[in-house]
Amino acid sequence: MSFLHNAGTVARYEAKTLRRSWFFRLFSLGALVIFTFMNIGVFIADESWELVSISSSVPLVNLYLLNIGQAIVVIFLAADFLKRDKKLDTNEVLYTRSISNFEYVLGKTWGIIRLFLGLNLIILGIGLIINIISKKMSVDIMAYFEYLLIITLPTIIFSLGLAFLLMSLIKNQAVTFLILLGIAALDMFWLWFRVGSIFDYMAFGLPIFKSGIIGFDNPEVIINQRLLYFFSGMALVMGTVLLFKRLPQSSLHTILAIVFLAVSLAAAVFFGLNTYSIHRDKSDAKKAVTEANRIFEDRRFPVVKEASIELIHRGESIEASANLKITNDNGEPLDYYLFSLNPSLTVNKITAGNISLQYSRTNHIIEIVPSSKLLSGESDSLTITYAGSINESFCSPNYSDNIKENRYRIAMLNVNKRQSFLNDKYLLLTPETHWYPVASLNYYPSNPARIKIDFTKYSLRVKTKENLTPVSQGRQTSDTNWYSFLPENPLTGLTLAIGNYRSDTLTVDSVVYITHYFPGNDYYKKDLSELKDTLPFLVSGIMRDLETSFSTRYPFRTLTLLEVPVQFYSYPKNSTQTRAEVQPGMILLPEKLSTLDNSGFSRRFESQKKRMARNNQVITDKELQVRLFNDFIRNTFISGVNSLFTRNGVYNEPSRYLLGPSFYFYKNNFHSAEYPVINAVFESHLQQLVQQGPPDRYSSMMGNLTDNDKANLVLKEHSLKDLLADNPSGDTIRVVIAVKGDWLFNLLRSKAGIEEFNTWFSKYCDDHRFERIDMLQFRDDIMNMFHFDFYPYLADWFNGKEQPGFIFSDLKANEIILEERSRYLVSFIAANHEKVPGLFNIAFRSEGQGAPGRRGQQMSGAFQPSGGGPGGRTMQGRGMETSDILRIVFLDSGETKKISLLTDVQPRGMMINTLFAKNIPGEINMPLNEILKAKINTGKISEEVEITAEPLQFSAPSEIITDNEDEGFKSGNQITASPLKRLFGITNRRSNTYMQISQWNVPEYWQPVVLTSYFGKYIRSAVYTRAGTGDKAIEWNTLIKDQGYYDVYCFVGKNAERMTIRDERGGGQGGAPGPDRERQEDSRFKDFHYKVFHDEGSDEITLDYENADAGWNNIGRYYFSPDTARVVLTNQSAGRLVIGDAIKWVKVE
Amino acid sequence: MKIEIKDLNQIYPNGNHALKDINLEIGTGMFGLLGPNGAGKSSLMRIIVTLMKPTSGSVLIDGMDIQKHREKLRSMLGYLPQDFRFFTSLKTWEFLDYSGSLAGMKNRKARIAEVDRLLDQVGLLEVRDRQANRLSGGMKRRLGIAQALIGNPKLIVVDEPTTGLDPDERIRFRNILSQLSRNDVIILLSTHIVGDISSTCHGMALLNKGELVFEGSPENLVRHAEGHVFRLLLSPHEYDAVKEKYNVISTLPVESGWDVQIVSDNPPEFISTQVFPNIEDAYVYFMEHKLQTYIID
Repeated sequence: MSFLHNAGTVARYEAKTLRRSWFFRLFSLGALVIFTFMNIGVFIADESWELVSISSSVPLVNLYLLNIGQAIVVIFLAADFLKRDKKLDTNEVLYTRSISNFEYVLGKTWGIIRLFLGLNLIILGIGLIINIISKKMSVDIMAYFEYLLIITLPTIIFSLGLAFLLMSLIKNQAVTFLILLGIAALDMFWLWFRVGSIFDYMAFGLPIFKSGIIGFDNPEVIINQRLLYFFSGMALVMGTVLLFKRLPQSSLHTILAIVFLAVSLAAAVFFGLNTYSIHRDKSDAKKAVTEANRIFEDRRFPVVKEASIELIHRGESIEASANLKITNDNGEPLDYYLFSLNPSLTVNKITAGNISLQYSRTNHIIEIVPSSKLLSGESDSLTITYAGSINESFCSPNYSDNIKENRYRIAMLNVNKRQSFLNDKYLLLTPETHWYPVASLNYYPSNPARIKIDFTKYSLRVKTKENLTPVSQGRQTSDTNWYSFLPENPLTGLTLAIGNYRSDTLTVDSVVYITHYFPGNDYYKKDLSELKDTLPFLVSGIMRDLETSFSTRYPFRTLTLLEVPVQFYSYPKNSTQTRAEVQPGMILLPEKLSTLDNSGFSRRFESQKKRMARNNQVITDKELQVRLFNDFIRNTFISGVNSLFTRNGVYNEPSRYLLGPSFYFYKNNFHSAEYPVINAVFESHLQQLVQQGPPDRYSSMMGNLTDNDKANLVLKEHSLKDLLADNPSGDTIRVVIAVKGDWLFNLLRSKAGIEEFNTWFSKYCDDHRFERIDMLQFRDDIMNMFHFDFYPYLADWFNGKEQPGFIFSDLKANEIILEERSRYLVSFIAANHEKVPGLFNIAFRSEGQGAPGRRGQQMSGAFQPSGGGPGGRTMQGRGMETSDILRIVFLDSGETKKISLLTDVQPRGMMINTLFAKNIPGEINMPLNEILKAKINTGKISEEVEITAEPLQFSAPSEIITDNEDEGFKSGNQITASPLKRLFGITNRRSNTYMQISQWNVPEYWQPVVLTSYFGKYIRSAVYTRAGTGDKAIEWNTLIKDQGYYDVYCFVGKNAERMTIRDERGGGQGGAPGPDRERQEDSRFKDFHYKVFHDEGSDEITLDYENADAGWNNIGRYYFSPDTARVVLTNQSAGRLVIGDAIKWVKVE
Repeated sequence: MKIEIKDLNQIYPNGNHALKDINLEIGTGMFGLLGPNGAGKSSLMRIIVTLMKPTSGSVLIDGMDIQKHREKLRSMLGYLPQDFRFFTSLKTWEFLDYSGSLAGMKNRKARIAEVDRLLDQVGLLEVRDRQANRLSGGMKRRLGIAQALIGNPKLIVVDEPTTGLDPDERIRFRNILSQLSRNDVIILLSTHIVGDISSTCHGMALLNKGELVFEGSPENLVRHAEGHVFRLLLSPHEYDAVKEKYNVISTLPVESGWDVQIVSDNPPEFISTQVFPNIEDAYVYFMEHKLQTYIID
């Protein structure tokens, strides 16, 4: 009792003292104000649907944010406590009281903890009131207590203990502060995602999001990790008791402190080891999967034609049997059958008829010895009986367990990424888990783009608890406790979910749309109540749009929208554009659509209504709901992208819920043993046709290159085959596969004709739906149809490193009279001097035209290079299907052609996309400023004429040019990092890569940038930097061979025009209006200071950017002797930026 | 109840030998510990109140070694440290309440009553709710003594309690201590202000450079100086000469020159009258003459 009295007394007065400190008062007051407003803003004003939709986010967001602040404040208060004790003699009167050090330190600790707990409770109280008031949210009262224990308590105890102990050891408050703040900063910036969050003492990145459906999905990780810090904190506090600078008085309490220290340490080690082993087990499991895959990736698998699966859901495990009908399409006999089954599922028995078959297991691979060899083309049947749970690490062996990579967040909170659920109340098994035997590998280590697809006729029987409902593809029947599912078509995989599901059904145009949701989560019905009658028309319209885009019908009879816990997440794959969220005829949507853009319907309704009222626009509720519904559907299922910010810049990850795969990946499969990337290439290209969304706004503003250019730079160094084997991280493979797909399809179209090929190919895919098509068969079919063999090109396409490179010149435009009609003839010469053939396509930008409407999408504001007036900017980079493409030109190695094109509308500019080539940027804009009126009747015009005489030269013989790409260009020894970065050896990540001029981050070094208007043979690049005092310089050197006078020119790659494009979201289904443009000089550039070195010394020349011509600008005539000539440009300027491109010396004759 | 200090030594890590073989016995009542700055008084005090462990030797209270029975000692201790000025953000009564609670007073009602009684006793009841930090220097000292008294301690240790106080406060403080000394408690008063001792202590010890140089009653100390304090009336010229030769302990300007008191082993060469020494005269005589003699011896 005396212990409680003494410790309680110290705690009471410590809390009182701290409560009265200005620091704590300021922090508390600030927290109260900020959190009150934040709660009102987020949860009442409904600003963030992803948070509002899930009720546990109220306590989570509040405590998470408060915790970051209090983890810092605790450091100051705790470190202050010992210093204060030391400094004040007044405290000695307390030290001479009969109280043990154990009681005193614990009292102090409890005093601080209870103070912060009080603050946390007040903040939670505010959150709870807001939670109750909010119309949109339910209250998860348990979450309030759970998060207090998960987030606050371990953080405070650990922070306190660490601060106490360090202060006791170091005895210097300033140094202790620095160390503790350093540790906090390390956690937040560097440690939180490492080794399975083991170092994340303040739960800064620990995924602790609680689903409204399944609650916490990773309690084991959360409990172990948080107890690690709780007990570590306790151990540190006990250490402080023992190190406390006051003579102890109670040996019993000293022993107690030692015992508690030992117990806490042991517990901390125990929970730390648990946390680590969870992480290690996951990575070991991934390694084991990869290793097994590596062993079996070159082995032959059968094809599963039919699979009858029977499954009993037994809480946290399943019991199942799969009756498989397989065939051998390998062209040679199979003396073993290989299947993959999730490694946590144990095979009990394998039989064929009544005969048990021998089998062995290598991790997830089952190798079965059949009773006799299966000859090529023959079939066999077998039954595999198995049971167990699901190892989710199996699903994505090529992704580490690092939560920072492929971050999945709701607001600022990391969400645990789950690929499967299996517990008493809920089950979700996607084909990616291999919950039934699959005759392929889930990942091919030596070629991550490879995939083997079987179109299998499935049937499924499921037994589960009475109150749970199973959901799967196909027609559902039930008898007694068993549910049966029979899909109408062969599928690439089968998904099973079991939960307390409710469902709604809508049939439109013979497709049955079924929504499966959890009770109370169908809020959208109320939010979009006006749509009841219109819904079939809307759905029908959207589906028709999609079908038009893909030139094919939706291949399934049902489309199931299945609500799954918010933690469900699939990693992107290099072998397909599909994600596990989209299954054949089924889309797995996050609970309450929380993470989907445009899903907070009521909030969006209110805000748009208000905005329209402000603008005096009249819209009915129904019209507005139609708009919201369309926005949601398009952004989620058709063209949505998420901008991902990574160390290497920003890239757009397509929405995980795109319906597109259903039109190709789940319907067709092209297979090539020789080129095992072919299906991914086909899918990528076809998928992009509808994916082709707005230009990447963030990426462009940050100065990132287009995907095409990124891919072409990568392909300068690697063949496609090598690159796949290297398996680089990020989206490299994705962009490279897209470029390679574009090239291949453009090759086919260039030979077959654009429209002709498209029509034929659509029909071809429909005729072969749910079949695997061998590329050799496809080759024969193409040859039969178009008399063209593309196969010889594939060897270079896959294995070769060489790229074509194009030079364009002599662009002319004439207005002519043709067949008594005024038309425009545009001609130019194009040459490919490189070793491999190449393709480019051509489109025109026309006078006064808006951009062609593309399925309701509009271009969003991006900084774009161009050189013409108003008009539509076609997204020709990937727009191979659109009518924008006037011509695809094939140039063989060393070929030069004069290209002539006719157009009815006066062109303002010509745009060329070089697809796969050395040209960077690959999208080249050529302004047509001058159109000669030659109103004469012209005879027949040859579209492409090969020029065999003089090869096209890049520059005139009398000119000496040094470009920034040339050896004569020097950008010096650039200091590209701050002193601190240099100290730690952190190099600047962008200094050696090409970018576009960034709207936000202007580098302090000379950054290479690309733009059509810059000078360059293939790479049209320049270097730019932030304007300065002249302390940084670049120089161009050349060797002058003939003495004499030379005119010296500098190249100014001017953006003669900037295009600003208004982002008008929510446009209708028709064509988007043309982007607004304004002609303006880039005001960030002003004066450039060149220094020309010549025989008589040097001259400084100032070039006024505004008055300079776009292109070559004369900066004087000088005499040069045979020697090295030099021109220097410094960063001195009154503008914001300085840019340098190329210098030309032209001999004066 | 008595304190026995046996062969006590304190050597700090920097080599400073703060206490050298101190042997002392202190009984109930008020005991003064006198000595110049750096004599070792505070070290001795801090050892007695268990804030510090001695290098060697022991301190027994009623035969009980304080290093082995710290809990017991601390439960009977009231301590006022030398520099009792800085407080955390507590009100006057709260500080006393905190001390009282740690002194073992568990009943809140009784504790609050005791807090108010002590505040009244030291004249701080009016500022009961004022922040302790905002009290005047004298008030802080009184608060210090109040907190030292709370919980009925048997041993009260006050270190330099009157330093910096004005005469009124000093007198008030001495009176409080005098009243307390009538109870069955030991009050150990450390000071370098000699007047504090003479007016309140029945026993005293004199420390110099870590050594115990005198132990006895203040009267005994005074007795050492009897016959060695002289009063002289001097012209300005003579004053300079006297100042050179003798320890002048007081100087008053008079019409004809200076009225001066000196201490000296022998009568001075100038016309002088012998005066009866007070404790301050005795302290100066002892420190300047007696101690020098000891050292020479």
